[in-house]
Amino acid sequence: MAMTALQRLAAAATRRPADRAPIFCNLFDQGARELGMPLREYYSRGAHVAEGQLRLREKFGYDNLWSLFYVGKEAELLGCNRICFADDGPPNVEHFVIDDLDDIASLEVPADITRHPAFEQPAECLRLLRQHAGGTYPICAYITSTMSLPALLMGMERWMSLLLMGPVDARDALLARCHEFFVKEVEAYRAAGADVILYANPFGSTDTVSMKFFLSHALPWIERDLRAIGTDGVVYYCGTSRINRVLDIVLDTVGIRTYYLSPFDSIADAKEIAGGRALTCGVINDARMIDWTEDEVVAEVRRMTDAGMPGGRFLIGTGVMPLAIPEANIRAFVTAARDFGSHDGGAHA
Amino acid sequence: MLDSYIAAYNDAVFDTDRDEALRVVQRALDDGASPEDIVFRLVVPAMDQMIKAISEDFDANLAQHFMTAQIANEVTESMLRRFTAPPQALGRIVMGTARGDMHSLGKRIVMGCLKAQMVECVDLGVNVAPDRFVDEAVAQRASVIGISAMMSHTARGPDGCLGVRRLLQERGLEHRIRIIVGGAPYRFDPDLYRVVQADAWAEDGITAGKVIAGLLTELPPWP
Ligand code: B12
Repeated sequence: MAMTALQRLAAAATRRPADRAPIFCNLFDQGARELGMPLREYYSRGAHVAEGQLRLREKFGYDNLWSLFYVGKEAELLGCNRICFADDGPPNVEHFVIDDLDDIASLEVPADITRHPAFEQPAECLRLLRQHAGGTYPICAYITSTMSLPALLMGMERWMSLLLMGPVDARDALLARCHEFFVKEVEAYRAAGADVILYANPFGSTDTVSMKFFLSHALPWIERDLRAIGTDGVVYYCGTSRINRVLDIVLDTVGIRTYYLSPFDSIADAKEIAGGRALTCGVINDARMIDWTEDEVVAEVRRMTDAGMPGGRFLIGTGVMPLAIPEANIRAFVTAARDFGSHDGGAHA
Repeated sequence: MLDSYIAAYNDAVFDTDRDEALRVVQRALDDGASPEDIVFRLVVPAMDQMIKAISEDFDANLAQHFMTAQIANEVTESMLRRFTAPPQALGRIVMGTARGDMHSLGKRIVMGCLKAQMVECVDLGVNVAPDRFVDEAVAQRASVIGISAMMSHTARGPDGCLGVRRLLQERGLEHRIRIIVGGAPYRFDPDLYRVVQADAWAEDGITAGKVIAGLLTELPPWP
């Protein structure tokens, strides 16, 4: 059955027949190595990132492409002017736009994100990805949710304090701004050609907050976010924090139809909860792929597919793959996922 | 006498309700508890109970760890001022995030939990180079260096824990100073602390407080 990756993803989402389960292998910084340049230089041009993404996908043979450079880009759209680059790992926000509570009032949401200088290169990246792979490979965008965005603007430490201890009006004012930004950002990325929106929200996991807080604070913002953007192509992702305890609730109240698990969520449980209603994405513990042997990687994929493949509606994925993972292990992951994820009598049958 | 307060206090902490936890403390004081009682017979046993619950598979979330640390820190700070005699410090630790790592929340939680256990913490901030960890530990006569890292490359790179270990070796300080690490990569790989040559790690902030207190009691005091 000859299918494109985009058709394969759609088939998994709706439980139509397909050759195999889709594979999302999230490589970012690895693109710089492909192009033989330092990370700072790599991330300075959308053309580099597009080229890196296309080459990596071609090389390893998985199913998705990313328009994400690094998450700190979102902070840049909101005024962050210093990013800490490393040689061996992802860039991090160094300048916090919100230094004290007074800064919340002056936080400026760009009127038109697509005209913001910090959007120029991601837009160029998206244009190139669309040109070379549009309609064939799903192009993913990473968008931080309303409730998690403040962590990028003021750091997790201060955001946790404000969120849990107030002052409540400052907290709510900030969340309102972040929501406004969130909606515009999703629109901008969709207009530029993103097919999949990874809705990134560690605060949507009960690893981060209690169930009570989730229900009273996190869930209402998730509902607001999703009412504004719709659930099309949206993936529920909590930064690889666990989601099985909330999956049912989010599915029922918000209607998102794709769930990106934690490596510590039971895949079998998730499939049972999601039933035939949603696409479950099993996630390998990729931090361990740095030291695992190829055989260990393959055994882990086998364990995941044994739990996830029965009944279909399964996707095999990774977290943010560390740069230190040996290429042989990336190959072992993709090869095993293609094999064991096969629906028509591959090694799995 | 304080047992009933311990339960009420922990309920408030689990509920991440700071105001209620502080009210429980006030009620205990009104009931005749001394500031020393509040710290050693309420706050510390409450943390012990939480560790026990966690080890028995109770899932404490990040907000609860944050709140435990926050309240323990606040209460201890205010009670210390009212202690009749200055408490005996268990030891001293310097703490920071690894070079290139800006994630400061873990450090804050761990330090908050340590305060109630009478461990003195020197906060070195974020993005700390190996030689600064070691220089400060020596200058402060600290027995433990705590390094928080949220990403694989800052946990495993040469400028993280491995760099600190190398300097301790070079300067002949290993008999005096222990290294403890923590953060997401260590939770994703419980053997990683050995790979980076740390002496110990802890999965969460409350447990970290206990493990560090344990390390401190093992070590000879600085001359
Ligand atoms: C919240 C979160 C985010 C938020 C907020 C980030 C921020 N600014 O702080 C958002 C969504 C914005 C985000 C973005 C990114 N993230 Co993030 N994020 C997370 C998440 C879910 C939690 C991290 C966190 O802040 N935890 C708070 C700490 C305090 O919690 P904790 O680890 O449970 O801490 C306890 C223990 O570790 C221990 N402890 C901590 N420190 C210490 C120290 C000592 C000495 C001891 C003893 C104990 C100890 O006690 C603590 C309290 O109980 C993790 C995944 C996960 N489930 O852990 C990913 C994760 C850390 N992120 C990751 C990445 C890659 C990123 C990005 C770099 C992605 C990118 N390419 O841009 C960006 C960076 C953004 C930036 N800063 O510029 C990866 C790291 C991968 C790796 N192996 O290196 C992770 C692991 C997700 C994944 N599996 O792919 N992220």
